Amino acid sequence: MRDSRHARLILGMLLTAALVILTVDHRSGEGSPLRPLRAAGAFVFGTAEQVGGVVARSVGGFVHAVATAPSAREDIERLKAENARLRSGLAANKLDAARSTELKRLLGLAGIGGYKVVAANVIARRGQPGFEDAVEIDAGTDDGVRAEMTVLNGDGLIGRVVRASSRTSSVVLLSDPASAAGARLEGGHEIGVVHGVGENGRLLRFRLLDSTAPVTRGGRLVSFGSHRGAPYVPGVPIGVIERVEPTPGELTRIAYAKPYADLTALDVVGVVVRAPARDPRDAVLPRREGAR
Amino acid sequence: MTGAVVVVAALLVQLMLVNRLPLPAGGAPDLVLLAVVGVALVRGPVAGAVIGFGSGLLVDIVPPTAHVAGLYAFVFALVGYLAGRGAGGQVTTVVLCVLLAPLLAAAVGGLLSDPRVTIATLTEQVPVTIVYTLVVAPVVIWLTSRARQQPRYTI
Repeated sequence: MRDSRHARLILGMLLTAALVILTVDHRSGEGSPLRPLRAAGAFVFGTAEQVGGVVARSVGGFVHAVATAPSAREDIERLKAENARLRSGLAANKLDAARSTELKRLLGLAGIGGYKVVAANVIARRGQPGFEDAVEIDAGTDDGVRAEMTVLNGDGLIGRVVRASSRTSSVVLLSDPASAAGARLEGGHEIGVVHGVGENGRLLRFRLLDSTAPVTRGGRLVSFGSHRGAPYVPGVPIGVIERVEPTPGELTRIAYAKPYADLTALDVVGVVVRAPARDPRDAVLPRREGAR
Repeated sequence: MTGAVVVVAALLVQLMLVNRLPLPAGGAPDLVLLAVVGVALVRGPVAGAVIGFGSGLLVDIVPPTAHVAGLYAFVFALVGYLAGRGAGGQVTTVVLCVLLAPLLAAAVGGLLSDPRVTIATLTEQVPVTIVYTLVVAPVVIWLTSRARQQPRYTI
């Protein structure tokens, strides 16, 4: 009992002291007599806190990293996805611009020639030296594409469809060594056959059937057209003769032509789903000044 | 003496480590309160009140402080006395003290019209602090009473 009273007395004293300190500090504000005490506390414990701060900071940082790891990972994922989306959007924008100009030229060419084309994008390409030179386009039988149809772009002939599935089709390029297309020299009736020679599509071999016919550098080739327009429709620009092989004594003459279409960098192509009613002859060829 | 060391250690850990942990719900356990309770549980009401007063004063002056000095001296003196005297079992005492301390501090702050004491403080921050303190209470109480065992026989 005495102990309890003693304790209560001490507690009362302490509480009173605390209340006095409270009141004094509260009333006096900035000019508080407790300022020296605070200053001493700040000095002693501030130093200790500074020393311990290095450890504490690293521990705190670790705990922070652990605690925020899930959300940080989500953030990273989200940002990565956003980045990829933006980047693909940017690339797509550039591609779209290029594609739009190509489409315009394709439409122009198709309009002059009276071809009915289905536009498509090249989505895959196979072309190792010595092997087939073929591309995959994203138009198929659903779009009206069938095998043995002519494929062209805004510059000229590209190749023919060899296989069409419902959504995609395989196109063998002119530059494929196994491909052969009927061709006609501009302004005449001299006909021949264009073969690919590989070489990444830079050159085509033109075999002129009449060895006496004049063929010179700069002569331009258009497609001759096949029976019922398959696989090649008539009148599509093929290329410009760059070099004529001297082949004395042979039945045919051989020339090398540079294709109008850049067969190494294809993007927008058109599949001719209906041949023109009349052969456009040389009308589709680019103007002489712009000839390559 | 050991009690003082324990309280100072708890205070430093509290200020430098615990308060800076980004714990969920934005609260932190009150280690100093638990240290005072732990010391007082072993030492009795007088020592509890004295140690509570001393550690409260320390809490009031150790930087960073922005509250009125003497607030925690008052609260911890009362809590130390209560813990030393005991109210029912040990667990009940600890829980009671943990519940009482922040409410008491809020009440005293409210009496001084501290702008930080609002209804939101009472409904949002105080419960979080209480929960965290109760979570770490067993460990801290066990540590502080263990630290006390040696001196208890020497005194």
